[in-house]
Amino acid sequence: MRREIPLLITFLVGIIFLFGPITTGNIPVLEMSFRQIVSTYLSPWTTIITAFAIGLASINLLRLHGSYVARKRSGWINSAALVISMLFFTVARIIRELRPTDPEVVAFYGRIFDNIAAPLSGAMFAILAFYIASASYRAFRARSLEASVLLVAAIIVMLGAAPVGALIWDYFPSLQRWLLAVPNTAGQRAIIIGAAIGGFATSLRILFGLERGYLGGD
Amino acid sequence: MNWANKLQSIDRRIIYTILLIGLTIPLIWPIGIPLAVNDTTRAVYKIIEDLDPATDVVLLSFDYSPASAPDVHPSAVAIVEHLTKRGIKWVGVSFWPEGPQMSEKIMRDLEARGLKYGVDFIDLGFMAGMENAIAEFAQNSRVITTDVRGTHIDNLPLMNNIKTMKDFGFVIGISAGDPGYNAFIRQAVDPMGVKFAAAIVTVSVPAAMPFYASGQLRGMLQGLRGAAEYESLTGVAGRGAAMMDAQSIGHLIIVAFIAVGNFAYFLSKKK
Repeated sequence: MRREIPLLITFLVGIIFLFGPITTGNIPVLEMSFRQIVSTYLSPWTTIITAFAIGLASINLLRLHGSYVARKRSGWINSAALVISMLFFTVARIIRELRPTDPEVVAFYGRIFDNIAAPLSGAMFAILAFYIASASYRAFRARSLEASVLLVAAIIVMLGAAPVGALIWDYFPSLQRWLLAVPNTAGQRAIIIGAAIGGFATSLRILFGLERGYLGGD
Repeated sequence: MNWANKLQSIDRRIIYTILLIGLTIPLIWPIGIPLAVNDTTRAVYKIIEDLDPATDVVLLSFDYSPASAPDVHPSAVAIVEHLTKRGIKWVGVSFWPEGPQMSEKIMRDLEARGLKYGVDFIDLGFMAGMENAIAEFAQNSRVITTDVRGTHIDNLPLMNNIKTMKDFGFVIGISAGDPGYNAFIRQAVDPMGVKFAAAIVTVSVPAAMPFYASGQLRGMLQGLRGAAEYESLTGVAGRGAAMMDAQSIGHLIIVAFIAVGNFAYFLSKKK
């Protein structure tokens, strides 16, 4: 029963989610439509489960890095920084949520977010520009026909996307737009449709109990 | 090692330094390179121009974090400036935990200019649950019962006529990843016919193009450039235009290094 009950729950919930958007009218006896069951019961439950998953992950992270600090494993100082900053921001946000009308609390949270979290995150993202510059210089070599096509497309897109491209050659922006709108859209559609069909097939396998990896074990 | 080989393996620190200088100078002394406006940006502008300030309320979903803020926050600011200019009221919501802090910055600025929270705009804050939360909010937009300032939505006149996401005159997702514009398309646009546009990070633009072509996205602001284009349409100067010069110089430097690398590669092959 340890396997059968989760499989049955998965099947029932999956069927309700599947029929929700494609059926109308009430289910006999229940006097509710699939859509109503989804919006009244399943959606709030899923939201709560997702929130719990974040909480669980946070506790797991704290336990793992807490043990690194306790055992003074190599790099424990980084773990300590993570644990302290995580606890600090968690407490600060909880106070902010509990006292949303207190201007001092709102201003304090705003200050620590704007002056600690925001610049650090922004700096991490900005570093990408430097990696991309270095990686592009090393990777974009016209070593073969395919590499040459990629190189030309990359240069057109880069110059077409920046205002300076139009100053260099009038056609850069229109060529860039054409690359995005025609070959790119065709390729992206193929990927999206392929992934959707693959996802649907996997969902059916899960619904019918053929795919059981999510249950853990075997 | 001859000079052709040397040019193929320039030290990354040299590339970083040149790029840093190239990006910094236009930020300090903007050049003002003229900018053409894309159709995707013009479409968003046109929809907002056609809204009725007396009846339409716009939903702005702030789904990004400080990491991606340099690319999308100027778009959020430009859209809010347009809404403010037209006297259109808006409701903010976030499906990313950091979202409310991003909208808070915009609201602080508006309040400093005399606009009133609760009258001209409100923020419902963060709703946990990722894509599922978007689905839930789409079907029942009163599922969030209090705003970020602790006021019950029954006491917020802006929410009086709002039951589902379809009741908003226009929905704009300012998104940097997952959940983002594609979750809105799956949960609100396709099943409910919500009028939706997105302001997205530049790197997401190729993946979003099919949704614009199909009409599921009514318009799209393409990263920082989209913000700069929008600022030029509204005539309200912002950070987008100022930062585009830096982006132009950055792209030029990258293309120049690629050209140098290839030139040296062909030269070394010839020898």
